Amino acid sequence: MKISLNWLKEYIDLSGISVDEIVSKLTMSGLEVESVEDQNEMFKNFIVGFVEEKEKHPNADKLSLCVINNGTEKLKVVCGAPNVAAGQKVVFAQIGAVVPNSGMKISKAKIRGAESNGMLCSESELGLSEDHSGILVLDASLKEGTSVSEALHLDDVLFELGITPNRADALSHIGVARDLAALFQRKLKLPAISIPQSTKEIDQSASIEIADSKNCPRYSAKVILHVDIKESPDWLKRRLKAIGLRPINNIVDVTNYVLHEIGQPLHAFDLDKLADKKIIVKTAEAESHFTTLDGKERKLNEHVLLICDGEKPVAVAGVMGGENSEVTSLTKNILLESAFFHPSSIRKTSKFLGLTTDASYRFERGTDPSATIYAAERAAQLIAELGNGEVVNGAIDIYPNKIVAKEITLRLYQVERVLGYSIPYENIKNILSSLGFALKNANEKSITVLSPTFRPDIEREIDLIEEIARINGYDLIPTISKIAIPISEKIDESAFVDELRTLATGLGFNEILSIPMVTEKAAGLFGNPIGLLNPQGSEMGYLRTSLLGSALPVVEKNINAGEKNLKFFEIGKVFAKVNDEIVSFSDFVEEERFLLLLTGKISEKEWYADARECDFYDLKASVNECFQKKTLDNLLNDSYYHNGNKIFDYFFTTSSKKTVLGSGGKVRKDVLKQFGISQDVFCFEGSVERLKSLTQKEKTFNELLRFPKVMKDFAFVLAKDISAENVTAFIKKKGSGILKDVHPFDVFEHASLGAEKKSIAFSLTYFDTERTLTDEEVDKDFQSLIEIVQKEFNAVLRGK
Amino acid sequence: MLTKIQTLTTEFLQALEKITDQKKLEELRLVYLSRNGSIASLFEELKNVSKDEKPLIGKELNQLRKLAEEKFNEKKSAFEESFTKNSQQIDLSLPGRKAELGHKHLLVQTLDEIKSIFKGLGFSIFEGPELESDYYNFEALNFPADHPARDMQDTFFVNKNFLLRTHTSPVQVRLMEKFQPPLRAIMPGKVYRNEAISSRSHCMFHQVEGLCVDTDITFAELKGTLVAFAKQFYGKELNYRFRPSFFPFTEPSAEMDITCFLCKGKGCRVCKHSGWLEILGCGMVDPNVFEYAKYDNEKYTGYAFGMGIERTAMLKYGITDIRTFFENDVRFLKQF
Repeated sequence: MKISLNWLKEYIDLSGISVDEIVSKLTMSGLEVESVEDQNEMFKNFIVGFVEEKEKHPNADKLSLCVINNGTEKLKVVCGAPNVAAGQKVVFAQIGAVVPNSGMKISKAKIRGAESNGMLCSESELGLSEDHSGILVLDASLKEGTSVSEALHLDDVLFELGITPNRADALSHIGVARDLAALFQRKLKLPAISIPQSTKEIDQSASIEIADSKNCPRYSAKVILHVDIKESPDWLKRRLKAIGLRPINNIVDVTNYVLHEIGQPLHAFDLDKLADKKIIVKTAEAESHFTTLDGKERKLNEHVLLICDGEKPVAVAGVMGGENSEVTSLTKNILLESAFFHPSSIRKTSKFLGLTTDASYRFERGTDPSATIYAAERAAQLIAELGNGEVVNGAIDIYPNKIVAKEITLRLYQVERVLGYSIPYENIKNILSSLGFALKNANEKSITVLSPTFRPDIEREIDLIEEIARINGYDLIPTISKIAIPISEKIDESAFVDELRTLATGLGFNEILSIPMVTEKAAGLFGNPIGLLNPQGSEMGYLRTSLLGSALPVVEKNINAGEKNLKFFEIGKVFAKVNDEIVSFSDFVEEERFLLLLTGKISEKEWYADARECDFYDLKASVNECFQKKTLDNLLNDSYYHNGNKIFDYFFTTSSKKTVLGSGGKVRKDVLKQFGISQDVFCFEGSVERLKSLTQKEKTFNELLRFPKVMKDFAFVLAKDISAENVTAFIKKKGSGILKDVHPFDVFEHASLGAEKKSIAFSLTYFDTERTLTDEEVDKDFQSLIEIVQKEFNAVLRGK
Repeated sequence: MLTKIQTLTTEFLQALEKITDQKKLEELRLVYLSRNGSIASLFEELKNVSKDEKPLIGKELNQLRKLAEEKFNEKKSAFEESFTKNSQQIDLSLPGRKAELGHKHLLVQTLDEIKSIFKGLGFSIFEGPELESDYYNFEALNFPADHPARDMQDTFFVNKNFLLRTHTSPVQVRLMEKFQPPLRAIMPGKVYRNEAISSRSHCMFHQVEGLCVDTDITFAELKGTLVAFAKQFYGKELNYRFRPSFFPFTEPSAEMDITCFLCKGKGCRVCKHSGWLEILGCGMVDPNVFEYAKYDNEKYTGYAFGMGIERTAMLKYGITDIRTFFENDVRFLKQF
């Protein structure tokens, strides 16, 4: 919201206070100044210039060569405007000027071979309006050399304020002036109203009825007769233009002016267009239609509050008037609406219509129900003054249930209890009364105030404490340097996944954070996905049901960027429906997952080794390493599935007892194709929560072996379809107690072994924790294993 | 006996002379110097020498052994030295065999840093769900239905009552349901806003929420704690200010600004020429929030704060486009 300093000065004496001080005080009291526009600064090098001569540019049809008198010298300037003519007074941007709408700095230039020492400006270039049809021609009486700031009264300072949603009261110049009055301890001056007596009474002019007093607690109106609709005077146009509004006519301009002065939105109806000269406030019929004054036909519902006349709707209450009752150049008599609508009603309507206006913005934040008459009179007075109208005596004011000021008691010790320092009683009283709170009862222990109706946000003791704190300044609240910490146990719920991260990075995986919103197809691959009501396009319409679904697009992007060898991990949430309808937390699952993903080469060609593509075994090893670190070593077991499923060509699952922790394998080509990936991808995805539930037990120390190990190895030729794991398990089972480990260390296939045959070599580890083994007992076990393996698997021991 | 010693000495020295590699040297050691070597057997023969000759021969034998060991060691170290010299013939400048560590995501690293500072200040760390109910995300945080405060956060809805959390604040509510004061915790996590994706904003980002409730928590403690955090995180020399703001779940509310560390407060594009950077929102827990949590407002006070991580990391590491974080280009990931 834009606030003009010149305008503020009508309500508060700011003499002796610099712009910087105002900016700093406003920002530090909660009305954040987002930017400052100092017109004197902006128009520094713009002056009134006199066009002494004008001739056509020799090298360009649309350009003119002008001689500009700037009051001290005559300068050659090239101008492109069609309306430039000798004898005009114009806005002349001198060398060094910065053009407001483009930020371009004017310097000496040669344009199509002609020298140019400045620029003649249009209103659009000066940021004064949208008009760029030609240069702005000034009043002939202005003296050349006069600064434009002075000539056009562009000597204002404009503040762009960021007003938080609680501060409805600050959405006007008087509202901001009230805070300044409290901050600088100066007096707030409100404009006095004086309206000449009329011969007519309002009762004869119009009538008002409120059918929905819940949503319209108060409706006030004034009537002005015989107005001339015309252009507003300069001072009014200037005020509105300064804060970015477009002047329209004296009636509309006055309602806008009062809105930005007092904060009360007003609406002017053409009284003669109101059937029966009557206003009825009621809700719309469902599915009805209404054309607002922007010319758009809008569909209504039964929650929309309407202003109607004796026959038809004439305005959407608090949002926008109707085309059918709009003030036009032919309007003579006016009914001026000044109402208080219920904030949530206006908000609902504004959301439903998708239409926010200056009026709805204020109504939905809460206007002052006590200010309707004052605002209406203020506007009526101005309309009468500017349009030679006659203000009918009195006002219509329908206010069935009066909204009264709330009574709030502040216990003074609470100020220190919340803020951590005490503020003197007198200061507190001062702050509250300068903000408009009426002191009902005050002593050193407690203060009871009446909260003004323009502060709907102040309802409780804590709200008063905030007011006191912000006006006194947050800077004065001490910044303490010691805190007391309870010695109870500290919890870190993120420690577990942080350790997983350390493991994964230790294994060379890079962490990605992918966006959980994916396409329906990507989400649907892995479970029953949850859709969003209002997604940012179908690309992000559903929540991922697996990390793979959001990681594959990341893989694809990287491959396209030429990064084909990737080791990624991600820890994040996945979501899936349990029941179709989500009404409670049990209707869906949100689960934290852990993903490891490999694609491309695991190692490049190097001087010491050949390049190697990553494979299933790289994935398996990394998974085992991560998971075994997080569980008790011997708890995990893997199962293998050659036939795959709808994600994997082949895969394995890692389980602890009967709990499956996750699965991983080679991702199917048709799945990858959907993501535009043509190279092999291996990935594992597991449940963090399940893994976490296994790792409660503490590990215990295993005594280090004090006796020598004996290592033996053998290899068998056997049928190709016998798995290494099968044989390993068999040997482990059949070996005597001194056989402690069996590890397949070589697999070899060759025609010489026979068709459908392979050779697997195993290394066997023997030891005893209590003694040194004898060669004989190891050999006995070893030999017997050879026998039974050969028998069991129809295998042949390979020559030693 | 003396002649034998003499002969053996000459023989040993000549043999040693001829040795050209370490293997042969070891063989030589076995022949002469080992436990069963020829020098040792001469010592054996000393038993048979007469008492008179013993001291002289013994001395000679000792000298032989000493000489042999010295010469042997000399030769041995000569070999070792020459081995070192030889090793210069392998090209040490070749790159080492590859061993690559992975990288945590930069945002996770930034979070780690923040978490460790707050742990030092006695805070616990809690997490909460990302798919939230309207109750936890808004209602219990004192956002009335149909209130403009809800416009502050554009929300992704799953349906009327469920949504992607727009802030980490709902975890506060969950904590207060679960625990009685004293409470001192931070709650990091992902949040979602339905905002157009651009270089400055994204529909997903990370926040760290903070909550502290006890019998004597004041705004002064809030300031002290957050200033201590900011000084550790952004640097000791930091200037700061707290200015009033509005959040439905805190009262009084504030925003904390620090001096822009790019322009040192002079004003630049990044700080929008104000010289200040807004780093977090905070305030005293609103009594209505305690009502929802069934905490006694007359007994407890508390503060809460929330900060975005992406902007902080962008400022700290000079990243100009927030999308960089979620594109996950491996060249970016490996930079940090």
